[in-house]
Amino acid sequence: MLTAIFHRKRKAAEAAAKAIKEAGGTIEQTKRVYGTRLLVRGALWGSIYMLSRGLLELDTLAPAVRVVIALLPTPFFVYYVWTWMKGVGEMDELERRIELEALGFAFPAFIVFLMTLGLLDLAIKLSPNDFSLRHIWAMMPLFYFAGLWRAKKRYQ
Amino acid sequence: MKNRLKVLRAERNWSQQDLADKVGVSRQTINAIETEKYDPSLPLALKIGRLFDQCVEKIFTIDDFISRN
Repeated sequence: MLTAIFHRKRKAAEAAAKAIKEAGGTIEQTKRVYGTRLLVRGALWGSIYMLSRGLLELDTLAPAVRVVIALLPTPFFVYYVWTWMKGVGEMDELERRIELEALGFAFPAFIVFLMTLGLLDLAIKLSPNDFSLRHIWAMMPLFYFAGLWRAKKRYQ
Repeated sequence: MKNRLKVLRAERNWSQQDLADKVGVSRQTINAIETEKYDPSLPLALKIGRLFDQCVEKIFTIDDFISRN
C-alpha cells in the first residue's frame, strides 16, 4: 500500500515537473517548487520531531506508547528525504554533481568524526548528555552543509 | 578543457540565462562551463553544439590532446 502511495505521489511530482517545463518554465522555477516543498515538509517533520522529543520527556507514559511516539517522526522524515531525492532528480547536471560531492565529503568525514568520538569516549568517557545518539545524528547535516559549501565554492 | 562558449554567446547577443534556458540547465552551469570550472556531459555538449550549429570539437577542445596528436 505504501509503495502504491509513493508511486502515485511520484507520478504526481513528475507530472508537476513536466507541467512546469511545458509551460515554458526554467530549471530555476523547478528549483523554487522543490525548495518550497522541502521547506514545508521539513517544517512538518521538524514539528513532529520536536513534539515527540517533548512527549518522550514525560515519564508517565507506558513503554509501548513511548515506542509509538519515538517512531512517529520517521515516516515524516522519510517523506522529507524522498522529496529531497526527487528534487535532486530534477536538478541539472552541475547541481547533481555538487550534491554528490557534498555527500562524498560528508560521508567519509562523518566516519572520521564518529571514529574519533568513539576513541575519545574510550579515553575520557564522553558525557551522554552531550554525545548520545540523539545528539550525534543532528551533527551529520553539518558535514553535508560543509560539503555543499565546499563543492559550490569549487564551481562558482 | 577549453571552450568558445562565451564568444559564441556574445556573437548572438545572448545572456548566460538565455543560453541556460535554451539548453535546459541553470545559469550557474553555463557560468561554470564558460569559466572552465566544469566540463559538460556529452549530451549537454551535443545540445550546445546543435544550438550553435557547430561540431562539439569546434566548441570544446582539449589542449594537451591536440598538441600530443
